[in-house]
Amino acid sequence: MAKNFGQFMKKWMTKNLELPQDVMMDLPRITMVGQIHIYIENHKGLISFSDKELRLLLKQGQLLIKGNSFVIKTILPEEILLEGQVDQVTYLNE
Amino acid sequence: MNNLWVEFIGGIITVEIRGKGIERLINTFTRNGILIWHVKRHGTESVTIKMRLKDVHKIRPIIRGSECKVTFLRRTGIPFLFKRLIKNSGFIIGAAAFLLVIFLLSNMVWGIEIKGAGPETEHKIRKELDEIGVEKGKLQFLLENVEGIQRHLSNQIEEITWVGVELKGTTFHFQVVEKNEPEQPEYASPGHLVAKKKGVIVDMFIEEGQPIVSIHDHVKPGQLLVSGEIGKEGKTEIVAAKGEVFAETWYKTDVKYSLKRTFQVFNGNEKQKHFIGIGDWQMPIWGFGKVEYQEFETEYNKKNFRFLKWELPISYTHTTIREREQETKILTNEEAFAAAKVEARNDIRNKLNENDKIKGEKVLHKSVEDGKVILSIHFQIIENIAVAQPLIQGETE
Repeated sequence: MAKNFGQFMKKWMTKNLELPQDVMMDLPRITMVGQIHIYIENHKGLISFSDKELRLLLKQGQLLIKGNSFVIKTILPEEILLEGQVDQVTYLNE
Repeated sequence: MNNLWVEFIGGIITVEIRGKGIERLINTFTRNGILIWHVKRHGTESVTIKMRLKDVHKIRPIIRGSECKVTFLRRTGIPFLFKRLIKNSGFIIGAAAFLLVIFLLSNMVWGIEIKGAGPETEHKIRKELDEIGVEKGKLQFLLENVEGIQRHLSNQIEEITWVGVELKGTTFHFQVVEKNEPEQPEYASPGHLVAKKKGVIVDMFIEEGQPIVSIHDHVKPGQLLVSGEIGKEGKTEIVAAKGEVFAETWYKTDVKYSLKRTFQVFNGNEKQKHFIGIGDWQMPIWGFGKVEYQEFETEYNKKNFRFLKWELPISYTHTTIREREQETKILTNEEAFAAAKVEARNDIRNKLNENDKIKGEKVLHKSVEDGKVILSIHFQIIENIAVAQPLIQGETE
């Protein structure tokens, strides 16, 4: 009950106070430059990484990125910059 | 994104991680503040990453707790470059030594050329040069400057009237004019020799012509001494009379000499300063401190360094600062008279030729007036009074 109320409050505040949603609700922010770069903020860690697939843990669910010749240019606790050819970005909700 | 060049300075290590749970390991790295970039997958169980050199010791405990194995693949960056530089320092030392040797050789004296001197004089000049250190293989900036060498040679060797010194690259060129060079025979037009001033003839040396006067004769200016007409009466021939007629002549000099004299003297205190200059900018390298002299004279001796044939904008300046003092001295009358006499003698010497002699002197008058001595001296001089007077056709009697 309390958790739902919290969620509700956050949603309400972002809606009415015009606060950025990624900050308020801990959502990932994804920036892409064409197909070659993808920059994800607010991730919660690496799950799997290969040159064709990258799986990231989010606060809710996972993010799956598919493509070719992936190289992680930078990885910080909450940020990741991926380079390569990005074909798909998929949210996986359990 | 992090600037890779900054990391390059600190040193970068490429690490290969093999094993299971590599993703977990990378998560742990990032959470521990270890900066990772360029993560690349090679096959199922191998990943290469790049990291800072200074983070290397931090990964050790993390790896120990995981199932992975780590190998260091490549080291790049300044610390490793530096290490390699030290390892290959022979090359750098060699290159530096090479430049240094060329630099030193460019600043040496490699040749001494003497032109215009006979073998004997040349030998003397070479000996004299050896003495002041101008030799093959000497460094140029340790030698005196060109003017100094020139002065030294002119003073020390009597056989030369003039010596031109020039430093071209690494060779000293000396252009010598010797004193005993045969004189150019002067063209003399036919004429007589006449007296240029009054005097009593004491000696005669006639090369050509008919002497009219004899020893002990008193002559007036313009008087005919040696006639250019020779031969018997009626069959005369006109030649250029040539010869020297020495006569005793008289000069009177008045000298004023003040009793109070001020001299500019160096009292021996001096300071040496050395500078290395780049362009117009001078950097002192030795001899610091302010000059406390009230009056002083500064002597500069600047030398440019050379490299091969080029003159570098780098120069070495040796400065000598000498203290000067003004000294006032009050002379006694006797001292002043003696000094005045010397001055009078110098004065008369300047008016005379080299071969003229002062036969005698007589003080005519001396007095002291407003702190000055006044001296009148009469000089007896033996000098050549003959001057040529060209015979102009039609004027002959």
